[in-house]
Amino acid sequence: MNAPSPSAPERGAAATRHPPLPKPHRQRWLLWLVGAQLLFVLAVAAAGYATGRFGSVVLLRTTPVDPRDLRFSDYVELNYTISLLPGHLWKGSTLPRRKDPVYIVLEPRAGVFEAVAVYPERPETAQGQTVLRGWVADTWRRSMRLRYGLERYYVPEETRRKLRRQQPLQVHISVAPWGQARISQVEVLPALRPR
Amino acid sequence: MSRKLLETDGLEWVQQGIVTEAQRAQLLALYPEERPAIGLLPLLGSLLILLSALSLVAANWQSLPETVRLGLLLGSLAGTYAGAEYFLRRQYDSLGMGLVGLGLMLFGLSIILTSQMYQLIGYDLTGLVAWAVAGVALTWVYRSRFLFILTVAIGGIVQGYNTGQLGAFSYLTAVLTAGGLGYYWWRRPDSLLGAVLATGLLWQTALLVSHLHIKITWFFGPAMLIYALGDWQEDRPAGRAMQGPPLVAAFLFTLGLALFGESDTYTGELRPPLLAYLGVLGAVLALSLWGKQRRGRLGSATDWLLLLPGFYLPGGLPLAIATLVVLYAYSGAVLWRAHQERNQDRVTLGTVLFILTTAVAYFKLTWGFMDKSLFFLLGGSLLLGLSWFLRRRAAHTFSSSETPAQP
Repeated sequence: MNAPSPSAPERGAAATRHPPLPKPHRQRWLLWLVGAQLLFVLAVAAAGYATGRFGSVVLLRTTPVDPRDLRFSDYVELNYTISLLPGHLWKGSTLPRRKDPVYIVLEPRAGVFEAVAVYPERPETAQGQTVLRGWVADTWRRSMRLRYGLERYYVPEETRRKLRRQQPLQVHISVAPWGQARISQVEVLPALRPR
Repeated sequence: MSRKLLETDGLEWVQQGIVTEAQRAQLLALYPEERPAIGLLPLLGSLLILLSALSLVAANWQSLPETVRLGLLLGSLAGTYAGAEYFLRRQYDSLGMGLVGLGLMLFGLSIILTSQMYQLIGYDLTGLVAWAVAGVALTWVYRSRFLFILTVAIGGIVQGYNTGQLGAFSYLTAVLTAGGLGYYWWRRPDSLLGAVLATGLLWQTALLVSHLHIKITWFFGPAMLIYALGDWQEDRPAGRAMQGPPLVAAFLFTLGLALFGESDTYTGELRPPLLAYLGVLGAVLALSLWGKQRRGRLGSATDWLLLLPGFYLPGGLPLAIATLVVLYAYSGAVLWRAHQERNQDRVTLGTVLFILTTAVAYFKLTWGFMDKSLFFLLGGSLLLGLSWFLRRRAAHTFSSSETPAQP
């Protein structure tokens, strides 16, 4: 296990067997590599921008968010009203299992979108409906918890100032025609009155 | 040996007549001189200015327009790589490589910050996989051990983040780290890199096993595949280094089995479907033995003793004892081989393993019924006696060897 490392001359011999890339060669490769890295970062930004620009907007509500979560991190975990759904919305032939990808059909009800059905495959939609992709996080006998990849919201300073108490949020989700979704805007709703 | 040692001690060797002046010059020529490091003060000064710029940007990051943020990220990324190439061309190798490493870190940071800017985090894995790809590619371009180690770490971090935060395992990252860096190590064998890569891959394997919620013993399938790769490596020290981490894992696991194997609930947690498990392990064993045979190292086949699937036996004292026998057989074989090879390091290793096994065996077999003071007295004497005997044996081996090694 504690094999002695080869001594310097041996290593030198190994290096001559596999010499480093010649300099012009290396520089050409490096140019390609750095170019690819820059393009990749640009592509991430472009995907984000295009989703916001060309996507259809879905309005979702969250359960109240605690501003105290922001003391130690710059994001909050969002829990949407469509994160926990009753089991009767499931339209698959077999029971959903954890980590399965699912498609959630959303329909506007009084300004906010609500889930009307959950499918294991991408379904056809009627006018006004939107499909959001998600994953099964947990299942119980009468309900299931879904994850959308939209649960983490990095709170900008402006929103942070408005969030004074435990308040629900109204989240604008942009869903691109190619299926990518992202949070595009967030409004802080008034706090629910204590019962 | 380093150039520094040659420079400081070389003149003395010439005076003592060990080497001639011409030989000293020849030796020095073997280790080309690196350009002297850039002065500490200018370096410190630029670091402070960089820090002030960084804190200014970090404090106002949220309020900067998106295009400015993106421009800053892309600019610093390109600037770092350009700086790296500038210094490398002027033979400031360490500084240049350091900057390449910084560029790679900046690439990861840019992906994360850009994703945050557009709230894309948590949606898919591609972003961070690209980071690992860049690391592997840079390692190949610069042929750098530093970048190799950095990339292993990045692979581990990306995988940890994927499984921990996103609840998904990126097979692409695993294949890339294993394939890209594994092939690099294969072509340019190196002990340190072998051990680092094996550790990184074992970490990813452990994450996969916990992600899939399968029996932990499946861990040894991929782990022993890494071990078998070491068997096929022509460079013996590099191969042994690659095999170190899987063997450590297997030894610790067997030690655990000896300690807790009595309870059937524990062993029950370890039993994968018999035929599938034995099939996989058997295939890897065949691959490993074939490699050993081709490279003339069949003697090390005793390593596989640790992989005997004793946990299929019903739990209880017999299982614990059988496991202890296996541990003794293994550490005994390590010691015996070390004496055969007259390898001081491996004798020490074998001695440690043997004593560890004895300690566990003694604890296991006597703690329950022996008076505690007697337990410690006998245990202490046993260990002292054993260490005396093993040391005497080692001294005997090395004194009779033709090229006596320092004890």
